[in-house]
Amino acid sequence: MGLKQYIADIVEAVVTTAKGMKITARYGVDAGEEVTQQYPEVRREPSERFRGFLHNDIKVCTSCTMCVKVCPVDCISLEAVRGADKKMVLASYDINIGRCMYCGLCVEICPAKSLKHTRGYEKASVDRGELILHFVHEDASEIKARVAKQVAEAAAKAAEAAKAAEAAKAAAPAPNPAAGNPAPKEDPEKKG
Amino acid sequence: MNRPAEALPTQEMLINMGPQHPSTHGVLRVLLRTDGEVVVNARPDVGYLHRALEKIGERVTYAQFMPFTDRLDYLASMNCNCAYAWSVEKLAGIEVPERAEYIRVIVCELNRISSHLISFGSFTADMGAFTPFLYSIRERERVNDLFEMVCGNRLTYNYARIGGVSADAPPGFLEKTKEFLDYFEPKIDEYNNLISYNKIFVHRLANVAVVTADEAVAYGLTGPNLRGSGVAFDLRRDEPYSVYPKLDFKVCVGTGERGRLGDCFDRYMVRINEMRESVKILRQAIAQIPDGPVLAKVPRLFKPPAGEVYFRSECPRGETGFYLVSDGTANPSRLKIRTGSFVSMNIFEKVTVGLMIADIVAVIGSLDIILPEIDR
Amino acid sequence: MESFVHSLVKAVPVLSGVPMWTLTLTAMILSAAVLLVFALTFGGVGSYVLRKVAGDIQARIGPNRVGPNGILQFLADGVKLVLKEDIIPAKADRFLFALAPYFVFVGSFAAFVVLPFGVGLIASDLNIGVYYVMAVTSLVVVGVLLAGWASNNKWALLGGMRAAAQIVSYEIPVGMALMPAVLIAGSLSLQDIVRSQGGLLGVFGWNLFHNPFTFFSFFLYFTAAQAETNQTPFDLPEAESELVSGYNVEYSGIRFGFFFLAEFGDMFVVAALATACFLGGWHIPFLHAEALPAFWGNLLSLGAFLAKAFALVLVMMWIRWTLPRLRVDQLMRMAWKYLVPLTFVNLLGVSLWLLIFKGKGIPQMIASLFG
Repeated sequence: MGLKQYIADIVEAVVTTAKGMKITARYGVDAGEEVTQQYPEVRREPSERFRGFLHNDIKVCTSCTMCVKVCPVDCISLEAVRGADKKMVLASYDINIGRCMYCGLCVEICPAKSLKHTRGYEKASVDRGELILHFVHEDASEIKARVAKQVAEAAAKAAEAAKAAEAAKAAAPAPNPAAGNPAPKEDPEKKG
Repeated sequence: MNRPAEALPTQEMLINMGPQHPSTHGVLRVLLRTDGEVVVNARPDVGYLHRALEKIGERVTYAQFMPFTDRLDYLASMNCNCAYAWSVEKLAGIEVPERAEYIRVIVCELNRISSHLISFGSFTADMGAFTPFLYSIRERERVNDLFEMVCGNRLTYNYARIGGVSADAPPGFLEKTKEFLDYFEPKIDEYNNLISYNKIFVHRLANVAVVTADEAVAYGLTGPNLRGSGVAFDLRRDEPYSVYPKLDFKVCVGTGERGRLGDCFDRYMVRINEMRESVKILRQAIAQIPDGPVLAKVPRLFKPPAGEVYFRSECPRGETGFYLVSDGTANPSRLKIRTGSFVSMNIFEKVTVGLMIADIVAVIGSLDIILPEIDR
Repeated sequence: MESFVHSLVKAVPVLSGVPMWTLTLTAMILSAAVLLVFALTFGGVGSYVLRKVAGDIQARIGPNRVGPNGILQFLADGVKLVLKEDIIPAKADRFLFALAPYFVFVGSFAAFVVLPFGVGLIASDLNIGVYYVMAVTSLVVVGVLLAGWASNNKWALLGGMRAAAQIVSYEIPVGMALMPAVLIAGSLSLQDIVRSQGGLLGVFGWNLFHNPFTFFSFFLYFTAAQAETNQTPFDLPEAESELVSGYNVEYSGIRFGFFFLAEFGDMFVVAALATACFLGGWHIPFLHAEALPAFWGNLLSLGAFLAKAFALVLVMMWIRWTLPRLRVDQLMRMAWKYLVPLTFVNLLGVSLWLLIFKGKGIPQMIASLFG
């Protein structure tokens, strides 16, 4: 190592250090450079497509179970029973947001557009159970019992109507055999 | 002082570096056998972050695996998303709308910038300079804002879909991207002045852990680590996919400007220069992007024909390749992922012999490994 | 101290009945207490300023929650340190483990004794002041080594070894870089060194401007001193990205607090020494401090001294947030191949200068040119 190289090394060290210090000094003096947001007081507005907590509008939901099928982590659980008017009635709709990875596949696939990402992203809980969001607030078994009752009533009504039709048929034979076909009834015990 | 060596017995020390260590970039464990400060042997012990992604891939449908690719390399989710989408599209022979391809390239290059920013920032922090790290994080936040705009998330984007992307770029996205590029380009020079050419920084990196071109090829290094050794190989140019053939960019290679070719500094500079190239690509892509649909018609119950495919694309940490075997059902029958970090880790034990403990940190940083990619 | 007590007795005749040694002892304890309070406050406020400076430089805000603008952050930190559980690792050498922080703290605190804060504000004007500082700050290395060894942790041991090698090596350039000031003043007493820099408007008498060699000496000293106090380009003993936290990795609670305070104490000592030896110490620009009435003279000179020292501390923080860290071998190369030879050349240069120009500095010569 020659003396020239020796001195050049020192000069280079000093010059590059000075260059760096010039930049840090500029940031240090310039007060407008701060990018920190004071979080609890200042909140940034999430974007329109922000994928926050999921929310299901159960009035719109058709219980088609597409979201359950598409969810890669099985965080959505859905129970539905066939109602008296042949539409599915939601018995329970739970989303485990502790398991959800906010991929948005369920929202994309939802045909009724009832499932949506909200802007919410703040949640703290001391209990894992609190991380399961329930969208049907009534007890699932109650709903099932109610729907079963309605279905049974409807079936009874249909049977009565059929009987009446039978009686009418007996009185005056009609060619139409389309009689009351009771709505398929879901067995509440069979559902998990 | 002429005492025989036996009078002063010395011993090699076994040090456990990680899995909880600030500079191992995750849960990497390195078993160091050292003679004082000099490393005799550094054996990486990986597997602390194994999540069986490949097995999960066999259990979920093709479309359902997309969010898992986010977790492959969480600093470059977009690249992994797109890499997977391209693989499946190649398997099923799906034609992707051109606008979707352009959007993919835009988000991929943006993510390359943000990933290289983290690599740069954490690397300088490992070297003891903490300030550049925060600058890089600041810039990355802007990229994250852009991604939040386009897909709604800031880390695990899950943006690409088989046959395109999940949603078109929202109005204002391209303008905002352009704004970001104008803001970001001068920052690269600032980084160079602040730290890249700092004498101490250069001295810490030059001639450390030299990987020659032959070694790099033999060990299967890819991406910036391969290019750092002077091998001009970039899948975007040499095995073109998507719309990259329509874009003009340079393949950055190490030049050995401050030491021997293939040292830590070269690998570092390749990343810095690649950010510049990404800015160039982005400007062109934004200028060229056509209108049109962004998602091809793909059946909801997607069952690609039986067959197998390997598709590789250039991710920030090297080649990310998906080997997919389809048996005609809705799930892949085999899904194998090849990642850049994992192969980079192979050469780790070889290049670290005789270095100092502080250099181990430099090598980990310059190979730019990320643990979820290694363990998958 | 003795002279101070004598003057006190003269001023307050009531005290003449009290035995001399009680007065001296009281004065000693009082001055020690004042210095301790100063050192602790500096440690606290210094940590706050360090974080604020970091925030400013790194485009963020820094602490701003406790008190207005976060100014009380250091109190919160102190309370936290005191209240935290004191953990001693199971296989640590308990006695040495407990002893180490005190060595480190005493090593840095004892140096405060000879710092010339003002015209008459010095706890003890030792006639070997510079030498004393060099000697007493070496205690730090014992403490750091003890901490590294007693923790029974390999990272801590590596940190301790690094610290020992580093401090021992850098003491040579630090001492050599201070010698020009000693040569010019002809005394090792810090108060004498400061007095020797009084001439010409209180600025041009500074050793910094005495001749080109002293000018370089200042920067050499500052660089070497950064290393001796383990500040950032040379913070290898701590090196959070390599050794996690180095020698103090196993310490928690107030024991860690002692290391922490010692670090800031060291910072101040280094800055104060640089001020005293090169930046004219307590000399106030354009004022003659010694000619002022005792109270005002002391107050203003104290202000001048602290302002200069704090400015240097700020520069140290600025460097800390700019530069990356050296490697061990590079650190040693820097000490032995660059700093040591350069400080020797400087010392030789200053000696020759004093010999050739009969002790006159450049400003003096220019002044004499103009009559």
